Amino acid sequence: MTPDPIPAQPVATLECRNCGAGAPVDEHFCPQCSRILALGRHGDYFSFFGLPRRLVIDQAQLERRFRDLSRQFHPDYFYNAAATERLASLERSSYLNDAYRALRNPISRIEHLLAIEGLPPAKSEDGTAKVPPGLLEEVFELNEQLDEIRESRESGGDPAALRDRLESARKPIDLKREEHEREVEALSARWDQHSTASPAEKRATLDALRERLLERNYINNLLASIDREAQSLEPKAESRG
Amino acid sequence: MANVVGIDLGTTNSLVAYVRDGVPQVIRDASGDALVPSVVSLGEDGTFFVGREAQRRLLTAPSRSVYSVKRFMGRGIDDVRDEAELLPFRIGGEVGGVVRIGLDDREFTPPEISAFVLRELKQRAEDHFRAQGEFDFEVDRAVITVPAYFNDAQRTATRDAGRLAGLEVLRIVNEPTAASLAYGLDRRDRGIIAVYDLGGGTFDISILKVEDGVFQVLATNGDTHLGGDDIDRLLMELVLRELDGSREQDPSHAVGRVLHSRPAEDIQAIRKVVIAAKHDLTDVEETEICLDSLDYRRRITRGEFERLIRPLVERTIQPVRQALADAGLEPAEVDEAVLVGGSTRVPFVRRIVSELFGRTPHSELNPDEVVALGAAVQADILISGRREMLLLDVTPLSLGIETMGGVVSKIILRNSTIPASGREMFTTGVDNQTSVDIHVLQGERELANDCRSLARFKLRGIPPMPAGLPRIEVRFQIDANGILSVAASELRTNIAQTIEVKPSYGLTDQEVERMLIESFEHAQADIDARLLIEARNEAETVINATEKTLRRPDFSEIASVDLQPGERGKIESALERLKQAMGGTDRDAVRDLTHALNHATQHLAEVMMNRGVREALAGKNVKDV
Repeated sequence: MTPDPIPAQPVATLECRNCGAGAPVDEHFCPQCSRILALGRHGDYFSFFGLPRRLVIDQAQLERRFRDLSRQFHPDYFYNAAATERLASLERSSYLNDAYRALRNPISRIEHLLAIEGLPPAKSEDGTAKVPPGLLEEVFELNEQLDEIRESRESGGDPAALRDRLESARKPIDLKREEHEREVEALSARWDQHSTASPAEKRATLDALRERLLERNYINNLLASIDREAQSLEPKAESRG
Repeated sequence: MANVVGIDLGTTNSLVAYVRDGVPQVIRDASGDALVPSVVSLGEDGTFFVGREAQRRLLTAPSRSVYSVKRFMGRGIDDVRDEAELLPFRIGGEVGGVVRIGLDDREFTPPEISAFVLRELKQRAEDHFRAQGEFDFEVDRAVITVPAYFNDAQRTATRDAGRLAGLEVLRIVNEPTAASLAYGLDRRDRGIIAVYDLGGGTFDISILKVEDGVFQVLATNGDTHLGGDDIDRLLMELVLRELDGSREQDPSHAVGRVLHSRPAEDIQAIRKVVIAAKHDLTDVEETEICLDSLDYRRRITRGEFERLIRPLVERTIQPVRQALADAGLEPAEVDEAVLVGGSTRVPFVRRIVSELFGRTPHSELNPDEVVALGAAVQADILISGRREMLLLDVTPLSLGIETMGGVVSKIILRNSTIPASGREMFTTGVDNQTSVDIHVLQGERELANDCRSLARFKLRGIPPMPAGLPRIEVRFQIDANGILSVAASELRTNIAQTIEVKPSYGLTDQEVERMLIESFEHAQADIDARLLIEARNEAETVINATEKTLRRPDFSEIASVDLQPGERGKIESALERLKQAMGGTDRDAVRDLTHALNHATQHLAEVMMNRGVREALAGKNVKDV
């Protein structure tokens, strides 16, 4: 089982199943008979929303557009329509909901951009991610600390002191995460300036974004393992108090 | 065009509502009662009773009467064994299959029992439309509500029940969302709404964002086994422990066994009085639980009641916090909290909700009726195509499939706006393999064993190819009802796959078809049962009126002045004969004896009317003086 890449090449035109007229792929309703169009193999959430491929998005505007399109597609309004229109409404609504979910969140928005720009997904393919080079030092340090804390906990060390240690071990990771978020924002802004840039420049920005997403997953995993350790320190602390 | 209604198919009570001229209203019976108890009882002669009549029979024929069947919808015997012990009716079924309810020598699935309640509501609505003088009074389509936290199997079971009752189910709508529609009608402004819905058997919390007439659910959570029934059960246990003090010492004695050591009639009698006490404690600080038949009597204060139910009510807190977290909101960001469900009448529940959201919750609309009103609004939106309001709901549970090692791979995450779709690619593990097994699950846990099994599919007709070469795309579609459908195709050859669905806890289409045919076969018996109920209701009205007159302190005087000799005796014997017939199921006898009593009291009625007129005139004279 492999994850299915989003098709990069949407078909160029749609055919209206009601009147047979052709329509551009980003149209939702037939320009000729105004019936809802069946969803083609659409792959681009930005153009589905009628938005340019930009990463900095006005959330309120996105939300308005979502409500507006929902009002046009929702199956509630096609109850009396022909079967093909009902199916089209169901597919378009589902797709709209998927698209909104992806675009609403800045990180999944970047993931989607990478996919439609033809980059491999920013996920470890086999689950055994190797440490991103930019994080080697922090990871090494943290794992050492976690091992020591775990050992000390198992041999009955003072939970309060261990919690303090864990807290200070967490600090550099938190800092890294904040720094990381700033970098993602800066790269996103840079991408949005790229309308006249060369393909190579664009590609470099995308590669950098992808690198950041891999790092981000890694940082989140580190924070999760710190949280897990913190939790195993909790019950002991309670029974003392 | 026939009529469309909204139905709240509740654990304890059900209601039906409709929209006229943009205004939703619930349909009441002649006595003004909107609630139809969700109780079904099988008469000794094979006829069925539904609603009030069936509720009465809980006391006289408990083993032939089913209540709270909603708790068993879409569930397996292994899910419900614990609570089945407490019920007077038989619960059975194969392990891994749907629950079967035994009444007399017949067996029913929960959708079949629910269909009786739905038919009753359909009938009630048709009677109402007929009485309104509508030419086409038939009701053939409905929106039916379910708890937001219902899974796919529970939703499908509800839809099956609708089909069995002869209704096209236009939409399955979540109860809290429906309630928000009813509330939103006259306040179409913007804001964040939290709907806290504690009903007879289920708890839901939904967080909605309302803007421009779009009611968008941000997150939902709940517990499909938490409600008023559980409060009743705590009180019943309290009474049983006190009735049976010695066994309290023995912790090995499960309550179920204590219950079973008593006749079902006793259990139902206890249930009836503790429910009355619960209702009392909404308005007064102290009340009495009184059971003459068991020589039991005790006072209970609201404080004592609250200590008893606190752990239950507190089980609603975690789902509320989770829903808020999933919506990315703090409690203070909620603009309005709305109470739905009969159990939110309990003052302690209101206090908990106030504390959770830091504000007094809304309860302007009757918490029993608001869901049905919302269902009617949604039905009206669907058939009218009007677009002022739109409801965007979510799927309450993540959908996934079992992968290697029993781990669940999530395909559609919980709180995704519906309709929602997902895709997953499969391939083969062996050369020339032509089928693949797929196990679909719902739930948040990582392991398949901890999630709810929805169905097992077998993908067939894969073209023979070397292992790993086929690219089979399986598409999952959750529709606006929150119900899943699956389609698959092999992408290399573009061959669509046959999917054989075996719902884990549901009925196959064939089973539903068979039940439909059976229900037609029983239709005559059902009509007979209805006619009997109508005859009884009429009889009851005449009996009550007669008894009321006979009880008057001045009746002896009236009798001696205005009645002929022997007339009183005739009336009393006609009354007695009718009351005896009421105990049986002979409809003709009930009808004839009702006429007889009517006839016997005709003169008395005239006398009483004349006296009434005289008294009124006399009163007027006095005042005029």
